Amino acid sequence: MTNLLVLKEHLRSFYSKNEVYLIPLIKFLVALISLLLINGKLGYMPQLNHIMVVLILALMCSFLPTNMIIVVSALVTLLHLYKLSIECAAVAGILFLLLFLLYFRFSPRDTMVVILTPICFFLQIPYVIPLTMGLIGTPASAVSVGSGVIVYYLLEHIGAGTNTLNSTEADGTSQKFRYVIDGVISNKAMLVTIAAFAVTILLVYIVRRMSVDHSWRIAIIAGSITNVIVLLVGDLIFDTKISILATVIGTIASAAIAMVIQFFMFNLDYSRTETVQFEDDEYYYYVKAVPKITVSTPEKKVKKINPQRTEAAREARMSQNRTRQNRDY
Amino acid sequence: MLMLNEERVILMTRMASYEEDEGKTNVSIGSYFRGDYIGLQLIKSIISATLAFVLMVVLVVTYDIGSFMQDIYKLDLIQIGRTLLIAYLAVVGVYTLISYLVYSHRYNMAKKSLKCYYANLKQLSTLYEEK
Repeated sequence: MTNLLVLKEHLRSFYSKNEVYLIPLIKFLVALISLLLINGKLGYMPQLNHIMVVLILALMCSFLPTNMIIVVSALVTLLHLYKLSIECAAVAGILFLLLFLLYFRFSPRDTMVVILTPICFFLQIPYVIPLTMGLIGTPASAVSVGSGVIVYYLLEHIGAGTNTLNSTEADGTSQKFRYVIDGVISNKAMLVTIAAFAVTILLVYIVRRMSVDHSWRIAIIAGSITNVIVLLVGDLIFDTKISILATVIGTIASAAIAMVIQFFMFNLDYSRTETVQFEDDEYYYYVKAVPKITVSTPEKKVKKINPQRTEAAREARMSQNRTRQNRDY
Repeated sequence: MLMLNEERVILMTRMASYEEDEGKTNVSIGSYFRGDYIGLQLIKSIISATLAFVLMVVLVVTYDIGSFMQDIYKLDLIQIGRTLLIAYLAVVGVYTLISYLVYSHRYNMAKKSLKCYYANLKQLSTLYEEK
């Protein structure tokens, strides 16, 4: 445990020293992964599948504001869908616009969740999202996570129906529309997942705010169990064909990841080096404020294996021996 | 020769870092009166709710375009118009109510957070006056 705490301190100091490079790197990686996943799943437009295009877009995202990742990903998705069929692109475009108009105007900070949720779905650990958002977010995060789930199932549905969408003749515009919209509206698995995630987020949020010891850990465990139960009950009622084994294993893995996240996030202020500029009547100030960091290395404890026998101890032992001898007689 | 006042620099640095980070939105919210801020946000909300409603209607119509085109002459346009109007008012009404709650909460929070900032500002001006 001590080693872990030291590691945490080291990570913290590393983060605050190299924050300038780390944040663009993280943005680059998120953009790269999401673009590669989109290309792997949809990939109808060969021009966008080229690795150079992906790298350039990801590099661009690394120094633009974080929300640009989602804009670029949405555009790439729409272009792929446009190549497949214009109806798909229209439905997806309208869906993205609705999400933006109705929800993300309120909480632009949550937008990353919409992209991280499908990524975690593809990595088979979607349950990490509700657990983590319950820990670090608010109940309103349920809406962002729900949007992410809708986006994932839309892409999945279109990816699975490529042949249907390709084979329908040119006059089947309305049919294609119906196919795509039906896939979103009447997808029971999607609705059950949204409900399960919303309940999990709420529960984790409520439990972690309770003033009991280890509330964060209890929250993760309770959230995981609730998640599995809601998914399985949903499966029973709506016959969503969710694999029980995959759900349980995925939830355990997600809970483990959430524990790691909790360990590194809990009660830890990743305070950062700040460079600010201001002026008064006499001076311009260019100030670099560096937070004071104390890396607490473990104290070396000297444990005596052969402690010197004190006089008192010797006497006590001798009297003990004497009583034993008396008893023996 | 003027000397740098250390206390002043520290205070100003703290405030500048607040302004750059979490205080950025708060300072801009704080520059409005309550009614102005919430009113402006509500107007934006009504516009986006209207756009969203139009998009939803487009989606519904295209979904059912076949039967819609067939029955276009038989449709009771007044009835449809009435239904659309009621739906529109319901969507915009609910959305506006939610945004009213969100933005009034946000305004109160920003004002609370700015209290400390304004206190620092006052302290800074006394420091300058002392000079």
